[in-house]
Amino acid sequence: MGSPGFSVKQEITPQPARVGRSTLTFTITDAAGEPVDGAHLAVEADMSHAGMKPDFADVTETQPGRYEAEVALPMAGDWVILLHGKLGTGAAVEKQFDVRGVRPE
Amino acid sequence: MLNPISIPAVENAEPALDLMQVPFLGSLFRWRYARPLLQAPLLVLSVVMILHGLFGPTLAPKNLATTLSWLHFRGLLVLVLLCAGNFFCLACPFMLVRQAARRFFKPRLAWPTWLRNKWMSVALFVLILFAYELFDLWSSPWWTAWLIVGYFASVLVVDGFFKHASFCKFVCPIGQFNFVASMLSPFEVKVREQSVCATCETKDCIRGRREPGSDLVVIRGCELALFQPRKIGNMDCTFCLDCVHACPHDNVGILSRVPGSELLTNPLRSGIGYFSRRKDLAALIIVFTFGALLNAFGMVSPVYAVENWLGRALHVSHEAPVLGLIFVFFLMVEPLLLLVIATWLSRAWGGVRQAPLPLAVRYTYALVPLGFGIWFAHYGFHFLTGIYTIIPVTQSAVASLGRPWLGEPLWSLTGVPAKMVQVVEVGFLLLGFAGSLIVTHALAEEDSPDRTMRVFLPWAAVCTLLWLGSMWLIFQPMEMRATMMSG
Repeated sequence: MGSPGFSVKQEITPQPARVGRSTLTFTITDAAGEPVDGAHLAVEADMSHAGMKPDFADVTETQPGRYEAEVALPMAGDWVILLHGKLGTGAAVEKQFDVRGVRPE
Repeated sequence: MLNPISIPAVENAEPALDLMQVPFLGSLFRWRYARPLLQAPLLVLSVVMILHGLFGPTLAPKNLATTLSWLHFRGLLVLVLLCAGNFFCLACPFMLVRQAARRFFKPRLAWPTWLRNKWMSVALFVLILFAYELFDLWSSPWWTAWLIVGYFASVLVVDGFFKHASFCKFVCPIGQFNFVASMLSPFEVKVREQSVCATCETKDCIRGRREPGSDLVVIRGCELALFQPRKIGNMDCTFCLDCVHACPHDNVGILSRVPGSELLTNPLRSGIGYFSRRKDLAALIIVFTFGALLNAFGMVSPVYAVENWLGRALHVSHEAPVLGLIFVFFLMVEPLLLLVIATWLSRAWGGVRQAPLPLAVRYTYALVPLGFGIWFAHYGFHFLTGIYTIIPVTQSAVASLGRPWLGEPLWSLTGVPAKMVQVVEVGFLLLGFAGSLIVTHALAEEDSPDRTMRVFLPWAAVCTLLWLGSMWLIFQPMEMRATMMSG
């Protein structure tokens, strides 16, 4: 997913996503494809329908430009991941990723 | 002045609790503006839901339109129907707008005779169930908002052209749901003393109260053509209280009764006719009952396997035709098959002499308790497991105006744990199942006193199959997906 100046690639494990704890990995690169480090980020996982509690988690940088967070997905179905925060340069990050078809345990 | 007409001299068998006699409630309901007073807050809420749905967050769990529509409204609706009566129709915000519009546009047309039945509303009921699945209305604040807008527009168009409560009686799918479910409600708007009606010369409850010496109606009579002395049960009654206000003898109350008792008898009902002759009503009840199963089936994991299998078998990748096939199976093939077999067995084995179609129609009404039990289990699940989510969603909506008057959203608030709610679900499914068996047995006893069990068993088998299906559904892992055919 691209934005002016940087792009964010998201992955989820396990694959395919299942009910339970999941690890989200975000890879942020700049326009030249170089990793963007030093970002301060947080994630929120929401179900696609009303009535479910969102899960919030802090994001930690595991290597330059690569960030990880662990979220709980307590129900099968479609989830939406919201990533927000700031890059080291001060640029705002607001991204939304769909995680479709999370499977039952 | 009307001539006195023959009114059955049947008094209410037992002293009933009359909500009109309850302090405060009685005074409120007697007040002529009780209905607008109850409608106004819901109208404001509807406008807020439309605005938030169109311009608020696109995520359903954060939007008032989706949270209120698909969790709280539906849950409270079935709860009020079960515990009291059709009070949502009383407080219907669409009718408040209609009333305001009718100050400027007087409808001139009578609803066409060929449409004076439930067929159109049955089709709309199915259409809404279909749209709910196809467009994933539960996950789309935008579509939910447009559904509410569409509802307001439809009311204005239908009741703008056609007199009386044509929309409520012949069009409104929510109203039809309420009419069917309210057959199990513990309260009914009915006359207190039939003898008072027998001597009444004005019949204001149906004609409306007029200014002395004039034809000008100052208090409306029943717009749904239910003549109080001959009204039996809650079918088609919107609890609008027009009859209560119009009756010059203060002889109409909101009386308690045995829930579902109207399903046990088949008298001539004012504004309805005989239940056993109303094929359209039977179709409505089929959609109500089998649609309850279908709607619940749409939220569990196996539906995706079925859809994907059908998609591969038919070589189609679009959801609409596959969903259409599932609807045809659930709402036509399955009921047709079950009812035909039960009807055939009732006649061949039980010796019932009624013609097949009236017999099938008659026993279809027995499915109402089970159907309502399934709806209650489903809507109750969403309502109870997400009951507190309205708090953070409202906090968030207010904060988005730039004024966090209600504090930071408490997103950790959700509701009752799903495991606990599952016990409630099982309880209501059992209650509905028992209700359907009781009605079925009473009808069988009446039709065949000598071979009651032989008539009862085929219909009990139908109820058992549906109940087992609903029990299986609630123990499936819930899975709300917008992408049914993605594998």
